[in-house]
Amino acid sequence: MSQPREPLRRIVVAGGGQVGVLTAIGLRRALPTCEVVVIGIASGLAAFADRASTSLPFTNKLHDRLGIEEAQLVLSAGGSYRLATHYVGWGGKEQHGIMPYGGASDPALQTRFAQQWGGGPRNVSQDRPAGSIAEALVEAGRFAPPPPDADTPISEVEYALRWNPPAYRNLLVDHARRAGVTHVSGLIAAIQPDGRGGIASIAIEGQGTIEADLFVDCSGPDAILASAMPEFDVAPWSDISPIRRVLVAPPGQAMLELEDRISLLSEGWLCELAGRDGLQTMLAIDDAVSDDAARAALQAEPAAVLNLSPGRAREAWIGNVIAMGDAAVRCEPLGFLPLDLAHRQLHLLLEMLPGRQIVASERAEYNRRAGLMFDAARDLLAMHYAAPRARMVFPDAGVPGTVRTTLDQFERRGRLPFQEEAPLLKQEQLALLGALGFARGLSTREQHLSERDIAATQADFAARSQAAVAFAPPYAQWLTSVLRANPAQTG
Amino acid sequence: MSDSQAKPRRVVVLGGGTAGWMTAAGLARMMGDRVTVDLVESEDIGIIGVGEATLPHIRGFVERLGISEAEFMRATHATYKLGIDFRDFGRIGESYIHPFGSFGEELGGVGFHHYWLELNRRGLAGPLGDYSFCVAAALANRFAPPAEDMSLASSYGYAYQFDATLFGPFMRESGLSIGVTRHEGLVTEVERDGESGDVAALKLEDGRRIEGDLFVDCSGFRSRILGQELGEEWEDWTHWLPCDRAAAMPCKHATDDIRPFTTATAMPAGWRWQIPLQHRMGNGYVFSSAFIGEDQACDAIKKASEGEPLADPRVLRFRPGRRRRSWSHNVIAVGLASGFLEPLESTSIYLAQMAITYLIELFPEGAIEPADRDEFNRLVDMEYDRVRDFLILHYHATTRDDSEFWNHVRTMTVPDSLAGKMELWRQAGRIEKYSDGLFYDASWIAVYLGQGLMPERHDTRTGLVDPERLKSATDRLRSEINTSVSQMPAHTDYLRRNSARLAEPT
Repeated sequence: MSQPREPLRRIVVAGGGQVGVLTAIGLRRALPTCEVVVIGIASGLAAFADRASTSLPFTNKLHDRLGIEEAQLVLSAGGSYRLATHYVGWGGKEQHGIMPYGGASDPALQTRFAQQWGGGPRNVSQDRPAGSIAEALVEAGRFAPPPPDADTPISEVEYALRWNPPAYRNLLVDHARRAGVTHVSGLIAAIQPDGRGGIASIAIEGQGTIEADLFVDCSGPDAILASAMPEFDVAPWSDISPIRRVLVAPPGQAMLELEDRISLLSEGWLCELAGRDGLQTMLAIDDAVSDDAARAALQAEPAAVLNLSPGRAREAWIGNVIAMGDAAVRCEPLGFLPLDLAHRQLHLLLEMLPGRQIVASERAEYNRRAGLMFDAARDLLAMHYAAPRARMVFPDAGVPGTVRTTLDQFERRGRLPFQEEAPLLKQEQLALLGALGFARGLSTREQHLSERDIAATQADFAARSQAAVAFAPPYAQWLTSVLRANPAQTG
Repeated sequence: MSDSQAKPRRVVVLGGGTAGWMTAAGLARMMGDRVTVDLVESEDIGIIGVGEATLPHIRGFVERLGISEAEFMRATHATYKLGIDFRDFGRIGESYIHPFGSFGEELGGVGFHHYWLELNRRGLAGPLGDYSFCVAAALANRFAPPAEDMSLASSYGYAYQFDATLFGPFMRESGLSIGVTRHEGLVTEVERDGESGDVAALKLEDGRRIEGDLFVDCSGFRSRILGQELGEEWEDWTHWLPCDRAAAMPCKHATDDIRPFTTATAMPAGWRWQIPLQHRMGNGYVFSSAFIGEDQACDAIKKASEGEPLADPRVLRFRPGRRRRSWSHNVIAVGLASGFLEPLESTSIYLAQMAITYLIELFPEGAIEPADRDEFNRLVDMEYDRVRDFLILHYHATTRDDSEFWNHVRTMTVPDSLAGKMELWRQAGRIEKYSDGLFYDASWIAVYLGQGLMPERHDTRTGLVDPERLKSATDRLRSEINTSVSQMPAHTDYLRRNSARLAEPT
């Protein structure tokens, strides 16, 4: 007869950033009988997951499950909405493209896009219709999160949230405290192995020794605990990702936009994130770009310059130590991937929560699936650097075989081979490749669609898109009214 | 983009069985005027037509051909199928249903089966199937199409049980009505291009020559083009799936009720199927010739059958395994010419349909791109490997030691990929996850637990819930299922409600 596993008695989460605190909340909620201790070590500025001010739509689901309310994020952590990412200059210097979130999009519509797609500046090709309801809403500047239980014209729209990282972290810390997570500050002075390939206890400077059954390393790129394991090994992504430095500009003016922008310049890529508390701009470059050229491209004196050597842990879980977030994967924040990756890893850990005796087969399965996640994220980065103009900006970036296959299938056949544990939905990835300037081939099925089918789908889309725009309130007005109605929690 | 004025691609299908006509009709319908489809078949070559039970995917295929469900059911004498009842597999006297549906609901991110294991340990659980709407409906002999809301009645899918010897001809009619050209005759020679090695034409015994750009080999186990002509290597899986014969013997229905499920009952050297059709019961013994002789197997099926036999047993021979590549040069094998596992989980028609779907997705508009061929072969491999492991589990997860056959499968070494999955289940009660291919969590759980393969440990979080509260929640689920199922029509009544789906009694 099967027995329930003996529960973990204590878990140590190394790292007090937003990844560590959310991990602690998740574990404590899953296992209220288990003591969860956060060691409040800082993860460093180059911890792109831990310092991210945005993620992807999956994070909303995780938040929801862990009791982090979206409304609270909006009211007290500077939360704002992104419906789409606007790519500029990836296919050609003046080329624009939009990647909306969500899987709702019509193949027939895509067909017409594929046929009409010729690149060129977005404001020049006026005849190009909006490609999704999200895009229509972005253009109209109208949106409010759809009511959860009603079927509305905008219920299909998916979105990502942005926030103010210190305020968001404070909100999480508050949650963690209420959930009974304990906190210890101090540096890790010693790591005591358990003789089974893991850790028995760690010593904290001035605080004594802490034993635990499980150690989750959210300490940032240095992976303080995981890297102390003899088996820990990093597979470099330096052949795929050309990025070695990320320059962060001082915050700009506050703004309310439903899209963010990732532009390809001749120096590297520039991400402009429309934060409610200020525009955040960062420039990612390779080794060849001079400081002067980088400053000129950033159009500001950088507030921080972060060095990066991209790579992934070959095995994120060794013994009883799990590397999470920046400790498992070091990569540039292109496409807002790092935090999404950390959150999906956390979700996987909650799904596969071990008992006190960790068994080899569950570790292997976790590492298999986390590895698929990592490689799918790597492939997504590589697709950016394989974009027509990106190949000129980053001539040395390698393209993995899996990506070559995907791009070949996309360009010739309009299809995407299925990838397990991929960060984006199929429709999102199709839109991304279009936005990056890859010309989409027509699928066998689409080639077979009649003009009449296409026209009917387009008419249907136009009606749905009009209904959505009519239904959604002006975004700025809506947000102002929400904040005004709840003044106590703002600030 | 391809020019719509371009010359249509000439597709030649060899073989007029189920796979052949599914391929011909599928291509003609889905590719329209961009292809011409010629099919070569011979009345002198019989068709196998064992596949009498299907998986839910078949519904999409029939729909895409523009055929109404009623029309299809009438033509093939079809009934509805909610799953398979496996008897005596794990241990003689035990049975379980592998449903086209799920068990319970997850709670706090922990799968239902973990809670079931905890209740079961405490003696508070009913059989796992009690918590599955689909299993309950099947056992109650009831059927209605699934609801489209989020209710319990939406938690399942369905397939059909039909007469495979009628399905091929039905596909033929459909294919002929949308422009497939049929050629009657025996192929005497496969003509190949001297330089590329591609197939150029099929020569028939009366001298006719059927030229094509693409050849789909649906010639069954003979694999006339891919196997015999191109010599594509065969990967043999007999070691893991030792059954290689079937003695088929249709019977009359023994009772008035027509069951909405297929029954697979383990036998000393294999298993026997009972597949209820509208007017008869498909019936037969799948066995391993290494462990029992053909005559003995025929006697066994005669003895085991419940209804009055409609014919003498007919023995079919097959080989479990597959060609290393299903697409080589300009030849794509679909159906038995590509590979065959065995009929245990009714995957044969699915595998043919899957190959047709991928072929259409990757259809060569001009010269064949090696990348498309590789992608096709990768997808087919993935599908076969996943089905293979799942089938092997049915034999290996047993305590039976009453015959040489069961001793062999119980103690054999299984593929590493399956051993890893079983180890994860044994140690932690978890299912190795994938989202592509066939058979997900619920299917694996059904077989593991149904065949008595209990894990040693289950999720630690089940210990956090008060067992009595857990019990009342699962009791409530069970009674909701029972109430809901009791309002469904009997399968036979539902079937007869619409005369358009009923065939004339034969």
